[in-house]
Amino acid sequence: MLRVHGLTMRYPDGKLALADFDLTVAAGELVVVLGGNGSGKTTLLRCISRTLSPTAGEIWLNEANLGSLSGERLRQTRLPLAMIWQHASLVRRRSVASGALGRYDGLWTALGGLPAVERRAAYDHLSAVGLATLAGQRAATLSGGQAQRVAIARALAQQPQVLLADEPVASLDPEAADDIMRLVRHLATYERLAVLCVLHQVELAYAYADRVVGIRDGRIAFDRPRADLPRDAVRQLYLTAAA
Amino acid sequence: MSSDAAVPRLVERSWAGACGLGLRLVLALVLLAIFVQAAIVVHARPQDLITGARGMADIIRRAVPPDFGKIDMVWWPALETIDLAIFGTVGGVIMALPLAILAAVNVTPSRYLYYAARGVIGFARAVPDLVWALLFVTAVGLGPFPGALALSVHSIGMLGRLFAETIEHMDMAPIDALTLTGARRVQVFTHGIIPSILPSLLGIALYRFDENIRSSLVLGFVGAGGIGFELLSAMSLFQYNSFRFCSLSHSSW
Repeated sequence: MLRVHGLTMRYPDGKLALADFDLTVAAGELVVVLGGNGSGKTTLLRCISRTLSPTAGEIWLNEANLGSLSGERLRQTRLPLAMIWQHASLVRRRSVASGALGRYDGLWTALGGLPAVERRAAYDHLSAVGLATLAGQRAATLSGGQAQRVAIARALAQQPQVLLADEPVASLDPEAADDIMRLVRHLATYERLAVLCVLHQVELAYAYADRVVGIRDGRIAFDRPRADLPRDAVRQLYLTAAA
Repeated sequence: MSSDAAVPRLVERSWAGACGLGLRLVLALVLLAIFVQAAIVVHARPQDLITGARGMADIIRRAVPPDFGKIDMVWWPALETIDLAIFGTVGGVIMALPLAILAAVNVTPSRYLYYAARGVIGFARAVPDLVWALLFVTAVGLGPFPGALALSVHSIGMLGRLFAETIEHMDMAPIDALTLTGARRVQVFTHGIIPSILPSLLGIALYRFDENIRSSLVLGFVGAGGIGFELLSAMSLFQYNSFRFCSLSHSSW
C-alpha cells in the first residue's frame, strides 16, 4: 500500500533530517512512529505527502512513485493519501460542514453555500466522527478535540487508502486523545486504511499500534510489532534524543 | 550559589549584538541629523503658528456659516468624487488581488512571476496618482473617467503590496491541509486563502477607499472630475463660505 525506499532529506542549511529511510505500511495496519524532538518524524510524513520534496528516495503509493511526480500528476496520484495534522488546520472562518468536505468545486461553495449533494456528504462524514450536530458552526468555535475530529472527517471525505497522522493528539487532553486514537484504530481495522501515525505518547503506541518504528537522527532505530517491543528500547530512544 | 566559571555566550551573535554601543549611538545621531536637516529644508518655524493664529481664525470665521445655497452646484461633483473613489478602489482591488498572489513568496507559482508582479506593484506605487491622471487625461480626455483610472492604477501599488504581505503572513497549515485533500490551485485560493485573509483584505480596501476620496479631491485640480475643481475655484475667488460647503460635502464622506 505505502512503501518508502531510501528516503533521504537534507535541508538547505545542510542538516540531514532523514537518511536512507525504508518503511512499509500494509492495508489495515496502524504503524506508530516514535522519536525525540528533531529526530525526523514530521519530516518523514511531510516527505511522504510531498509537502516537502525529498533529496532522494522513492515513495510508492500503490503502483506509483510519488517521489518522481510533480504538478497535476502529483495531485491526481496523491488523492488516495490523506493527512491529519498536529493542529486540525481547518480554515477557521468557514463552517464545520465546509471543513469536513475539504476539496470541492464551484463558486457557490466558495461563497459559503453548500449544494444538497455536498451537504449530504458533509453530514455523512461528520456523522462518522460523531459531530453531525455541529455542521453549521464556524470552525473557529470548536474545541481542539472536535476540530481534530473534523480534520479526520475531511480526510475520510477523500476516501483514502493511506492515512498519515502527524501527532494528531498532541494538543488534546488524555480522554480526547484516547478518543481520537480509537477512531484512527477503527479506520485501520474496519476501513482497511494503511495508517502511519507519529506520536509522542508511548502508552498510546502500546495501546493502539500494530507496529512501532523508532526513529533517531533520521534513521530507523527499531521497527517491531507492538507485542515484541521492549520498554527499554523505547526509553533508550528518548534518552539518546535528550543526550 | 555563585561560580567563578566564565559565563557562556547566552545569545546568538546577531546584527544588533555585533553593533557596539558606540555604533548604535552614531546611528541614532545620524537619524537625528536627518530629521534636523528636514526641519531646516522645510523652514520649520513652529512659533509662526502662534503668531499667525489670528489669520487662521479669520479664515475659519469667514467660512462660517457654509453657503448651503451652492448645493445645486455642488451635489453632482460631490457624488462624482465618491464614485471616483468607489471605482478607483474596486478597480484597484480587482487588479491588485491576482498581482498580490503572484507577489506573495509563499503562494507564487513561479519566481519570475514573483519578481514581475513585485515590479508592477512597485511601479504603480512609485508614479504619483496626479501623473497617472495626466496620462489618462491625455488618452481619454477630461472628465471623471481618467481620474477613476488613475486612482485604480495607483491603488494597485498600495493594495498589491499590503495584500501580498497579508498572504505572506497567513497561517499556511490550513492551506497545506487543503492542498493535500487534492484541491486544485484555484480551489485552494477560493476556499482557503481568501476566507482566511478576507477580514484583513476588507480592512485594507476600506482604508484605501478613504485614501482615494482624499486623492480624488486633488485629481479635480487637473480636470479629472470631482469636487476638487469647485474647491479650487472657491479658494481662488476667496469665497470661503462656498469653500467651506464644498469641503464639508467632501469630508462628510
